Amino acid sequence: MNLTSDRHQSFYQITIYLCGFLLFMEWLMPLDVIGEFNNVSIFYIYAAFCFFISFIQMNWMISVPLKLIGLLFILDGLFIGERICSGGWFTIVYDQILYNIQVIQSQQWWDMTPMFRSLLFLILLWLMSYLLFYWFIIAKRMLVFVVLTIIYVTVVDTFTVYDGKWAIIRTFILAMVSLGLAHFYKEMEKESISVKSLRVTYRWVVPLVSMVILSSVLGFASPKLTPQWPDPVPYLTSANPGAGSGDGPGNGPVQKVGYGENDSRLGGGFIQDDTPVFRAMSQDEQYWRVESKDTYTGKGWEDTLEEETSEVTSRDLEFSTFTDDVETEERTSFLDFTGEANFNKLVYPYGVDAISRFSQDEFSENLSFQLHDNTGEIDTFESGDPVQLEEYVVDYNMPSFEYSQLREADEEDPEEIVEQYTQLPDNLPNRVVNLGSQIIEGEDNRYDQAKAVEAYFAANDFEYETEDVEVPEGNEDYVDQFLFETQLGYCDNFSTSMVVLLRSQDIPARWVKGFTGGELTQETASVEDQNLNVYEVTSGNAHSWVEVYFPEVGWVPFEPTQGFANNADFYTEVEQSDDGETSTDEDGETEDTEEDNSENPNQAQQQEEAESDEAAAGAGDDNNWTPLWITSALLIFLAAILFFVRHRLMAAYLRRQIRKKPGRDTFERAYIFLLKVFEKRKMKRHANQTLRDFANQVDARYQSSDMRQLTYHYERMLYRNEQGSEQMSKVTELWENLIKKALS
Amino acid sequence: MSSQTVLYQPKISEVLRNINKVIIGKDEEALLSIVALLAKGHVLLEDVPGVGKTMLVRTLAKSLDCDFKRIQFTPDLLPSDVTGVSIYNPKTLEFEFRSGPILGNIVLADEINRTSPKTQSSLLEGMEETSITVEGEAVPLKKPFFVMATQNPIEYEGTYPLPEAQLDRFLLKLKMGYPSAKQEMEMLNRTSGTHPIHEVQAVLSREELVALQDKVEEVYVDATVTRYIVDLVRGTRNDEGVYLGVSPRGSIALMKAAKAYAFIRDRDYVLPDDVKYLAPFVLSHRMILTSEAKFEGSSPEGIIADVLSKLSVPVQRNVSE
Repeated sequence: MNLTSDRHQSFYQITIYLCGFLLFMEWLMPLDVIGEFNNVSIFYIYAAFCFFISFIQMNWMISVPLKLIGLLFILDGLFIGERICSGGWFTIVYDQILYNIQVIQSQQWWDMTPMFRSLLFLILLWLMSYLLFYWFIIAKRMLVFVVLTIIYVTVVDTFTVYDGKWAIIRTFILAMVSLGLAHFYKEMEKESISVKSLRVTYRWVVPLVSMVILSSVLGFASPKLTPQWPDPVPYLTSANPGAGSGDGPGNGPVQKVGYGENDSRLGGGFIQDDTPVFRAMSQDEQYWRVESKDTYTGKGWEDTLEEETSEVTSRDLEFSTFTDDVETEERTSFLDFTGEANFNKLVYPYGVDAISRFSQDEFSENLSFQLHDNTGEIDTFESGDPVQLEEYVVDYNMPSFEYSQLREADEEDPEEIVEQYTQLPDNLPNRVVNLGSQIIEGEDNRYDQAKAVEAYFAANDFEYETEDVEVPEGNEDYVDQFLFETQLGYCDNFSTSMVVLLRSQDIPARWVKGFTGGELTQETASVEDQNLNVYEVTSGNAHSWVEVYFPEVGWVPFEPTQGFANNADFYTEVEQSDDGETSTDEDGETEDTEEDNSENPNQAQQQEEAESDEAAAGAGDDNNWTPLWITSALLIFLAAILFFVRHRLMAAYLRRQIRKKPGRDTFERAYIFLLKVFEKRKMKRHANQTLRDFANQVDARYQSSDMRQLTYHYERMLYRNEQGSEQMSKVTELWENLIKKALS
Repeated sequence: MSSQTVLYQPKISEVLRNINKVIIGKDEEALLSIVALLAKGHVLLEDVPGVGKTMLVRTLAKSLDCDFKRIQFTPDLLPSDVTGVSIYNPKTLEFEFRSGPILGNIVLADEINRTSPKTQSSLLEGMEETSITVEGEAVPLKKPFFVMATQNPIEYEGTYPLPEAQLDRFLLKLKMGYPSAKQEMEMLNRTSGTHPIHEVQAVLSREELVALQDKVEEVYVDATVTRYIVDLVRGTRNDEGVYLGVSPRGSIALMKAAKAYAFIRDRDYVLPDDVKYLAPFVLSHRMILTSEAKFEGSSPEGIIADVLSKLSVPVQRNVSE
């Protein structure tokens, strides 16, 4: 019978503990989505490791070193290249420690190295495994943690891009199971029923399981209110003023305008950020291209083509978005990145040809450029490590597109272009496709079709908006939402929608990211006999636009966003001015009057838009630790709660001890602890008061004789030097009664 | 559970019931007298005449099947009146020892401060020893031997206050006090017929009593409790109002008394509660206050209470030891 109940006990413990572990995993999961964790799985594994060690209850002399070794092993694998415990290894560790101690002393929290932050995080995992073990197994109290987990998931879901829909369902089921089980076993214990037959268990388990299933399904299927308040994400500000300027991967919960890499989930508002990224000295204002993306997922953009990269030299960048048939003009711009920004991709104008240094010196031999052939992204490396060029000169051939050439371009696209750039998600709503065909109806050539789509937004009261921008939920499509529901948005909305509308009509198009021309400053620079304007490009100038493919011409930029002008140059040859436009020289922007007009209107708006871009792109790298901070804060909150319930935990621990090894020592600890708890409950035993006296006082208050009886046993042990009481079970019972009263 | 329901050792319980039949409202004094008896100590009763001192001792003696002797101390009493004397017997031509009242089991020494110090010491000597010396010969005292001395605190005139060294010989000093009105009425009712003392039956033989005395010595005193006793006694020495603190003999007395008390309470181990309870009775006559303290109205009992209130009761085993 004992064996059976033992088996049940351990089954119970394993189940409860597993629930606890899975609940804790819910805390870690959002980090994968919202944080800068490339190796979240390692943290999962470490957490599992710690939980396991805690569960098997090794002697701490073994468990602590084990956990420590695991920790070092992970840090070593992630951050330290050297062989573990070699000389170099110690040097690195020593440097890290020294540096981080300085950082902590000067309270420059953001300067902590990733390794150190990971260390802190791992220690946190360790502590949590320990705490949760006590909470779940010993104290059998999981309600608080369950509630906290639910709060955490909802908060993370609300304030970040993390989709907590399934997480909340999982949490709910785990909570039901663990709470149900815990209650079951508490009742059994209370009523001193031993789990004799499986039948009894079935009677419990079946209702429990059916309740869990029923309520989960009910909860999932029943109608829910729509959100009662606007998405708060846009109102959150980043903790770090430098945010947004960088190229950090990942999508922070707080969106701030700037250039980011992760566009897989677009939408949501953002805030302004005027952190300068670079200064450009050039003749005219122009868009600065960084990369394009090819695959639209329904939520955002991804780059799913195989990474084809090639080494290019600074003298010959070999990246051209248009064919040789396009008229070009040689230009030179000077870029200065000496600001706060850290941007290790090349920013270049259309027609880039070569880059060089301001001075006549050559770039260092170690410097290499890696071109992603599909996207046009050019990474700069020095000796294999990503590096930011502080300044460089770009020689480029500024393209000018001739209208007739575009209009008369044949529409036989190469197969690979069609395959790559007319991709659309399967679940794209039909109305988008229908709208696309409506818009281009009547236009007989690709250029006019593209212009029609470009103009569609302005003609249909789409508004430029940066703050109150929706994020598509559930199965909603990003473009569909913008086109048919909100009609409010920023560059990502406009540009993505245009690409999708074009693709829906089998016109190859792609989504491009970069920066707008920036703000013209008062300064001028005279370089090599040219008088150049100086533009300041900030994070706020991050932007996205559209490129449409024209056979024989190549990729032509379009600008659908309200309030922005296409900086690309279009012209009409005089003899071919077939649509009656007056025509003109190379700079004839006649066709683009709309765009031109909007060029001036508001720089601010432009900036906003830039922001939007970034918003979509995700916050800068500095934000990536924010989830960690939130997690830490919540964990600290958790620790605080643990502190407040420490008496209960201790009581649970002692109860266990007294049952496990009844004897003088445990009894003494338990009794003294009881006195302490009474003291906290305003029933202090004065130092000069004898135990018997105090027991009378306690019993008078509770109108029982428990304390006197318990004290009698304790006295015998203490003053009669008895090694333990023969009636230990009675003593335990008395103690439990009293501690329950004291804690209630 | 036994701690809650059975308060007294069964034999002692009977003795107490006996006393209660005769004397009303003196349970505590009766109990403490038995404490002293079991601890092989003696009691000094300090009170006005007529509050039932004699009756208490007599009842006790009768309940215990012991000899009861009484000495009324007067200024002209001689030591030989206490110890006994050898008288020449003309028939046998020998000196015969006529034993004095000290050679009883229970001796009531009434108004001990009325006699001369010489006579006093003849009694007090015997209290500390197991025998007395009469005319150069050691005469063993009876077992059990228990002296209850009384002194009248009011009449100072014509008295010889006991010196401190002598007071030390008494294990306990008690004060009887007047009965309450109700008790006194009850007392009157009882004395109207035959005096209840005549109906008292012995409930304990002398041998049994001696055996109990031996058992008391086996009562366990834990180191935590001895420590408590020592701290308490040292506390009285360090008090400002004390001219002369309690001697180590006082510590021993307190421990012995506590053992006896624990035994009466049907325990074989001493509690700090026992020590606390007995401290005023055991210690108050063993200390002398400074004149200033007396002038300010302090009493030894007050100082003991004060020391006790500052002293922590041991509630944990001392792990460091």
